[in-house]
Amino acid sequence: MSDVRKPSRGARIARRTFLTFAGIVGGGLLVGAGALAWRLKTIDGYKLPAGDGEASFGAWLRIARDGKIEVVVPHQDMGQGIYALAVLLAAEGLKVAPDAVRAVPAPIDARYANPVMLLDGLPMDDAALSAPQRATLWTFDKLVRALGLQATGGSTSTRNITGPIRTAAASALDALTRAAAQRFGTPVETLKIAGGTITAPNGKHASYGELAADAALFSPRAIAVPPLAAGDYIGRGAPRFDVPPKVRGQARYGIDTREAGQLYAAIRHAPRLGGRLAQASMPAGVAGVRGLVKGGDYVAVVADSYAAAMAGLDKAEVRWDDAKALNVSTRDVFDAYRAALDKGTAYKPRWVVDSAGDLAKAAGKEVRATYTAPFLAHATMEPINATALVTDAGVKVWAGHQSTSLVQLLAAGAAGIESAKVEVVTPYLGGGFGRRADLGYVAKAVEIARQFKGTPVQTIWSRAEDIRDDVFRPAAMADVSATLGGDGLPTGFLYRVAVPSITDQFVARVLPSAKGGLMADRTTVDGAVFPFYGLPNRSIENFTVDSGIPVGFWRSVGYGLNCFFVESFIDELAVAAGATPLAYRARLLAAAGDYEPARRASALLARMQAYDQATPLLPPGKGAKAGRGFALTECFHSFVGQVADVEVTGGEIRVKRVHAVVDCGFAIDPPNVVAQVRSAINYGLTAVLYGKVDFDQGKVVPTNFDSYPVLTLDLAPQISVDVANSGAALGGVGEIGTPAIAPAVANAVFAATGKRMRALPFDLQVS
Amino acid sequence: MSVELTLNGQPASLASPKDTPLLWALRDEKSLVGVKFGCGAGLCGACTVIVDGQQTRSCQTMVGEVAGKRVTTIEGLDGGVARAVIDGWIKAQAPQCGYCQPGFVMAATSVIAADPKANRDSVLSQLTNICRCGTYDAIRDAVGHALVALNGAPQKQGSAQ
Repeated sequence: MSDVRKPSRGARIARRTFLTFAGIVGGGLLVGAGALAWRLKTIDGYKLPAGDGEASFGAWLRIARDGKIEVVVPHQDMGQGIYALAVLLAAEGLKVAPDAVRAVPAPIDARYANPVMLLDGLPMDDAALSAPQRATLWTFDKLVRALGLQATGGSTSTRNITGPIRTAAASALDALTRAAAQRFGTPVETLKIAGGTITAPNGKHASYGELAADAALFSPRAIAVPPLAAGDYIGRGAPRFDVPPKVRGQARYGIDTREAGQLYAAIRHAPRLGGRLAQASMPAGVAGVRGLVKGGDYVAVVADSYAAAMAGLDKAEVRWDDAKALNVSTRDVFDAYRAALDKGTAYKPRWVVDSAGDLAKAAGKEVRATYTAPFLAHATMEPINATALVTDAGVKVWAGHQSTSLVQLLAAGAAGIESAKVEVVTPYLGGGFGRRADLGYVAKAVEIARQFKGTPVQTIWSRAEDIRDDVFRPAAMADVSATLGGDGLPTGFLYRVAVPSITDQFVARVLPSAKGGLMADRTTVDGAVFPFYGLPNRSIENFTVDSGIPVGFWRSVGYGLNCFFVESFIDELAVAAGATPLAYRARLLAAAGDYEPARRASALLARMQAYDQATPLLPPGKGAKAGRGFALTECFHSFVGQVADVEVTGGEIRVKRVHAVVDCGFAIDPPNVVAQVRSAINYGLTAVLYGKVDFDQGKVVPTNFDSYPVLTLDLAPQISVDVANSGAALGGVGEIGTPAIAPAVANAVFAATGKRMRALPFDLQVS
Repeated sequence: MSVELTLNGQPASLASPKDTPLLWALRDEKSLVGVKFGCGAGLCGACTVIVDGQQTRSCQTMVGEVAGKRVTTIEGLDGGVARAVIDGWIKAQAPQCGYCQPGFVMAATSVIAADPKANRDSVLSQLTNICRCGTYDAIRDAVGHALVALNGAPQKQGSAQ
């Protein structure tokens, strides 16, 4: 058997491409290593501003006038609880209760860049990095930090801020303690620290707030922090401070922005994707209407209230220009995928993102299958909206979003000013799921507000417009084939997925002048590349096929697609090999040899086996069939196994119960890990049972929750989560529940009925 | 011609045209922004208010229809049942993004107030709102907590986990 860990030809190509890319980015950005070092030093020296009575402790912590400790969070909270997590980290590090800490949004500064998100996108196996790959990652990390992109996504927030906040808290506590020692004239070791107060042996004491000004004068010392372990709050969690206001309806979202004199805009886009506005006019005297704004591919009516704006939109006379409109229908997309895959190695662009051994030498019984997934909308509960105020001094934007930096960039572009003149206010997000990383909506809101200088204008997308103007999870098609040896294990594994490049489209939307197609889009092959199973002769290939339909990042991105294809196929191989799904996976993991991901996956598989043995399948109702399915995945540096119990009655699939086992390295906030995994499973279940956005000659077909149904309470399974951490480096959490649910349910349906679900959403009549 | 009603326990009038969805009159005219816009078609329940005791989707109810009625929004929710529901929701740590949660709280309060002895499954079957964060297990727990607080006796059904 060949060495599966040796960097393959595909990986070498990917690396070369990547180095070229990094060179272009780096070269365009900076003049040389000296400039880079200078910029990074400037960034690292950033200190939070402190007003009267406030004390700043570097970039992450500040003690406010009211004595509260403020921890800054450079990420947006879209429900994942990152603000609450920051509070836990600061409370633990400073030895105070969580209610002594307040989380506040970070200022816009390169200091708060998120390199994790971009580094995760590089086509290399983090569990088996070569020396040049390590050097490349190190360099790229510096470049990304210099770029300073502040963003939230890719299940990276916790990984991005945990280290810095813990280090900052240790350093701040050190300074506070030294200040107390000086004030009380007693050595540091004699002081007692509890509840935000430092007490000397003679009973004299001072609160952090009282010591803050003195402490802030000490130059900060680097204090080593111990590895993450359960403490008073870390590893236990605490009630989330954002829960009571959310339950009581007091939490403010972007759409709740209410500024003095604010106007409202209703927006309507060209019915066909790519269509342009030809002509629009507003009859005079429509109640409440202040004006009509003509955009490139939209028209907007601005009025005193949103109801008046919507009524006005219905009265507007609008003509669209379809000369450049897309004429694509769903079937055309899948036909193009089929044609690309049929071309095989002759197709371009085709990227071999991961390969090992020699497929040509593989022999044995052949198994092959084709899987498909449709386009999906995000359908966040809070429809897309943004409020903008354009003045001579600059632009102010109030919006839920996933990147302060990109809000600035796009708002500045729309207003024709520099980024620094854009002020961003970020209320709570009524859902993100990747949708609010695509900020064209902010640009449009600024374009509209620009016509009403000096007046804040809130633009709201109706639900139909929210779906019409979405950037969809791409549809995909995968041809998967394997040859099985005499022992039933694969001797060869060929994986080809046809899918557009999300990264290329995303970059083009943000920087229209950027050149795409420079490297493989890792985000769309995630879940297939660098498998933890022993697949000695393999080739994992991306066929980039773009139909022009806008695609974007949808919770779990490529993992959601490829995990369904791969883990369904592994189940098909188990059937072909005459093995049970769990036993077959155990053998495949053992075949991976000495490889950390395989060890972590094996540990989860053992817990799935134990659960399976201890928990009988729920008995089916009358006339129904029951089945249990399994799936296992690595995603965002975490590992997840799922066991799904389904009941099939006639043509209806009902997911009754799901058990998930999760290894995210270490769970800082375990109750929230459970909540996030449950959430992501239910989000994925919508895709399993209903999710589908069809296109008809360039028109987006669904318009609301009747034509784009989502999971409701009555059909939501009971979900249990076993947080089984390995102690490895932190992995992501927010998206990790989504990928394995589709194959787990598909495999359960097969167990119940013998029918193999190869197309999302599942339909027993078709398959 | 404004519409007179009782809004959150106080006499109030709405100046919005009578064919305006109540949702927008509450949000834009009264700044009661705890009432959320989700779909505008009565499909998601984010805009749920209580009209004369009934859970009502305010995006499908016109201003003219609530003349003389008692309308309660999340901002004016009060009373023993409401407190039990809100406390249950907080105890279960139900919200994630939280956008749909006031609608759920309104619906659950109206259902339980109408029949405080109802069992959990019966209450849950009347919650047809949508939560995209999929907080459904926590919502089941929240309703369970509220019923226990109101009725003293633990419910037969266990929590979801």
